[in-house]
Amino acid sequence: MKKISFLLLVLFAKTVLSQDKATVSGYLKDGKNGESLIGVTVYKKNSQIGSSTNAYGFYSLTLPKGNDTLVFSFIGYKTIMYPITLNSNHTVNIELKEEETDLDEVLITSEKEDVNVKSMDMGTTKLDIKQINKIPALLGEVDIVRAIQLLPGVTTVGEGASGFNVRGGNVDQNLILLDEAPVYNSSHLFGFFSVFNPDAVKDVKLIKGGIPSQYGGRVSSILDIRMKEGNSKQLSVNGGLGTIFSRLSIEAPIIKDKMSFIVAGRRSYIDALVKPFVKSSNPIKGSQFYFYDLTAKINYRIDDKNTVFASGYFGKDVFGATVFSFNWGNATGTLRWNHVFNSKLFMNVSTFYSNYNYQLQFKTNNSDQAFKWTSNIVNYSIKPDFTYYLNSKNTVRFGLQSMLYDFMPYKAIISFNDGTKTNLVSEKRYGLENAVYVGNEQKILPRLTAEYGVRLSMYSLIGNGSAYYFRDTTANTPLPFDHEKKYSQGQIIKTYVTPEPRFSLNYVLNSKSSIKASYNRMAQYLQLISNTAASTPLDVYTLATNNLKPLIADQGSVGYFRNFKDNMFETSVEVYYKYMQNQMDYVDNADLFINSKVESQLIQGLGRAYGAEFYIKKNKGKIKGWISYTLSKTERLVRGISNDNWFYSRYDRTHCLNTSVNYDITKRWNISANFVFLSGTPASFPNTKIQIQNYNIPYNTDNIRNNYRITPYHRLDIGATYAFKKNERRRYKQFLVISVYNVYNRRNAFSIYFRTKDGQPNQTEAVRYSVIGSFVPALTYNFNF
Amino acid sequence: MKSLVKIIVFSCLALSFASCQDVVQVKLDEGSKLYVVDAFVNSLRTDQTIKITTNSNYFSSTAPTGVSGANVVLTDLTDNKQYSFIYTSNGNYVYTLLPTDTLAKVNHLYALNVTIDGNVYTSSTTQKRYCSIDSINVTLNDNSVGFGQQSKDTSYLCILFAKDKADATADYYWIKTFRNDTLFSDASDLNLNIDGTGGEITNAPEDSLDFTAPSTLLGFKKYRRHDKCRVEVHSIMRNTYNFFTQAQTQINNGGLFATTPENVKTNIVTPNGTTKAVGWFSVASVATKSVVVK
Repeated sequence: MKKISFLLLVLFAKTVLSQDKATVSGYLKDGKNGESLIGVTVYKKNSQIGSSTNAYGFYSLTLPKGNDTLVFSFIGYKTIMYPITLNSNHTVNIELKEEETDLDEVLITSEKEDVNVKSMDMGTTKLDIKQINKIPALLGEVDIVRAIQLLPGVTTVGEGASGFNVRGGNVDQNLILLDEAPVYNSSHLFGFFSVFNPDAVKDVKLIKGGIPSQYGGRVSSILDIRMKEGNSKQLSVNGGLGTIFSRLSIEAPIIKDKMSFIVAGRRSYIDALVKPFVKSSNPIKGSQFYFYDLTAKINYRIDDKNTVFASGYFGKDVFGATVFSFNWGNATGTLRWNHVFNSKLFMNVSTFYSNYNYQLQFKTNNSDQAFKWTSNIVNYSIKPDFTYYLNSKNTVRFGLQSMLYDFMPYKAIISFNDGTKTNLVSEKRYGLENAVYVGNEQKILPRLTAEYGVRLSMYSLIGNGSAYYFRDTTANTPLPFDHEKKYSQGQIIKTYVTPEPRFSLNYVLNSKSSIKASYNRMAQYLQLISNTAASTPLDVYTLATNNLKPLIADQGSVGYFRNFKDNMFETSVEVYYKYMQNQMDYVDNADLFINSKVESQLIQGLGRAYGAEFYIKKNKGKIKGWISYTLSKTERLVRGISNDNWFYSRYDRTHCLNTSVNYDITKRWNISANFVFLSGTPASFPNTKIQIQNYNIPYNTDNIRNNYRITPYHRLDIGATYAFKKNERRRYKQFLVISVYNVYNRRNAFSIYFRTKDGQPNQTEAVRYSVIGSFVPALTYNFNF
Repeated sequence: MKSLVKIIVFSCLALSFASCQDVVQVKLDEGSKLYVVDAFVNSLRTDQTIKITTNSNYFSSTAPTGVSGANVVLTDLTDNKQYSFIYTSNGNYVYTLLPTDTLAKVNHLYALNVTIDGNVYTSSTTQKRYCSIDSINVTLNDNSVGFGQQSKDTSYLCILFAKDKADATADYYWIKTFRNDTLFSDASDLNLNIDGTGGEITNAPEDSLDFTAPSTLLGFKKYRRHDKCRVEVHSIMRNTYNFFTQAQTQINNGGLFATTPENVKTNIVTPNGTTKAVGWFSVASVATKSVVVK
């Protein structure tokens, strides 16, 4: 802390000294609904001096005193030229107007569309929610996580698997932030939909490499999702009736231009739809399964210097029959305060709460026998973050984060007929993670910009709790328990400190192209315990302990960015190499559920991933879209597994081709299509069988893991949106979305497994399991006013 | 608690409206040769069989090839008594009990020596204590048990009442169920249990939960009038229980939440530099009971 206050002092001192310059700062908003705009470019006309708005729409730019013109430009909005006489520090708040999207009109092109070339960002993709809305979706429902899976470097093990894998990282290595609060399970209905309601989302940013120092806690990627603030100009309503669920969102000003809110909700009705098709003998008859979520946000702009936000998410999946039920849900809450100290120093303080919990229950109809299992993860955190716009060459960002983890690994209650109960309750686990960070974005030369910084993360596993100690044994067998030691409340069991250097460079070759390079080290203090193909919603997270070391990843990447035809086409090539230490794996026949000494079942190994990502995107014209291709390899090395050799990880896909296009045929009709081709995921196949007690047990005599690959995955989706004729005097707009997922009806294998035919003890066969084995048409009706 | 995952898999199969499974052709490599020792000896006064075969290509549709000419000897290390098993056919080595023999004794240590081509493969195990079966209760299947499973015609459920010592030592059971002397032998019939004391154990081979505390199992294998239901409760060692759970996972490892396939562990020791032997050796105490549905 001392260092930071010192740094602050130096920074202030320097401000006072530079008398010949002045600073312009302020907020940029959308003129139509008052939403703050993220990433708007602000620059001095005909110069290289510029900046862009942060996640709250704030910018600050220091310029020489005198008469000047400021240019504010943002894709999809009309560029504003703002003449200014700069004698002292100024506040300039601007509202940008959307470009007319009607095709008949000439597009007014803004000058700065080369952000991808000029900005520091590499390995970063921003997805505009409008863009996501046009991607044909499974069952016609727009989904952020599924849209992300179309980007280079992002894969999944298959349909229905929750989460996503970034550059060879496991699903638990993505920090998914909803208004800065972490979301532990981003899936609804196992993995078919994500928990983010697109009606409430403003901005989606995925960072795969060159991760700035303000982010930490997960090693592979940051998915930063920002919610809308709510229309501060007028009431607006968005809604949709879909095949699988319905949506409704309401946003309105409370005090015009000062205070507004948004409330958005969804509820599925798949249960109602499926019921008629379920045979009476099917065990799921009489079952309920549905999900719902509610997202809300309120913001209050107190004055030019202070804005406060409160946002929250609550969602739940319920799945159950009379004797069996299963549900899970996330709840997050964020409170934020933006404060502008002066035109150069911006602060945001966020505090958040996040709770992920799940429950599994069995009970019999006519007796008191029952089994109930619950588990949860609760997070509390505070995060003050400062941006100091030192001068036109340096922007310093610093801050700290403190986070408390409160885990309940499991709590099981078993009830018997005679009224007795047995409780199997795990000890709670507490972890404290603190981090300080500082980073500077510096224009070293007119063409060379660097962003460098460091994050120092400190993690402690703290009491109440026990530390378990195990003896060493042969590789790939559970560790024998030796002894345990009790720790009282707040006592430190084990501490890990990791300095995480971050570094990226951008060298602009010319107005159309640049070369970027980055290196970052990331540390992660909790990992998901899951030895299944797709992670289940029941999977338990575990904190780093005296036995489990934190996961550390080092990643380096280099990229070439170039725009063509007056920025109509954006292209990039990036290569990366990632090395991971202490990645989680499992001993054979691991017992991971309701096991207080689960650490004995875990082994930590190495991981490496490397690849090349090619991306071409067309931003303008009637046809828009992108093609991405990734060539990559992801491997692991774990003692005692696969004869101590590197083996392919479960989510390795050599070739990934993703294309997404949409075409505005007329004012009313828009059609879109996706095509995806992915190499099959690796799988462990037996080569022989051994027969014991008449059971045919698959056996691989080479003992190599992931020695085969299942068949490639490919799929075409198409969609069409029809905009109904609008009544000129009314704001009411209606759309009909028709979509077909998996058009040519391919049975993509999720896995291939081996089994003995029932009743025929010598007949064995391989079975392809497809999650979606047919084409899925859907119709959705959307409206807004 | 691995069966929990199974239940979820099962639920997901039901859930995923468009999911499907079909048999496909897969080309597999030729694996190297292994000896497979299937040595489950028990306290029943019937012929005891140890089977020695080789592994076969996974898609081979014939019975595994038996290994003849081996020398198979079971030794009761506690009593220092040897039992030589005699080859019959198809890899089966049989020991016929003499009226004076007590081959399986509680807490005795046993060794198995299998000599093939002059190489001695060894293993050892201990026999665990018995559980006592109180009765098998036959009830009309009123669909109150199980996952709301329903049937149109009258059927019966057989419920096992068994008891083991309720103390700090965990007891592990492998429950084999026979209808009219035919073993329910499908992969889903493998019924394993820990400390199933104090309550009823429906003899359905569908396992649901393996609590480490007193528990009741549910299931729905159906019987009709005049059917004979026989149950064998094999009291096994913990590592044998683990062998079965691991095998159970590997035998039917499909669905969204399939685990990474792995080779089952073995307790057969292969001498260095010889063809590897896999398999399992167990000596179990068996309690048995039967009932005819009237």
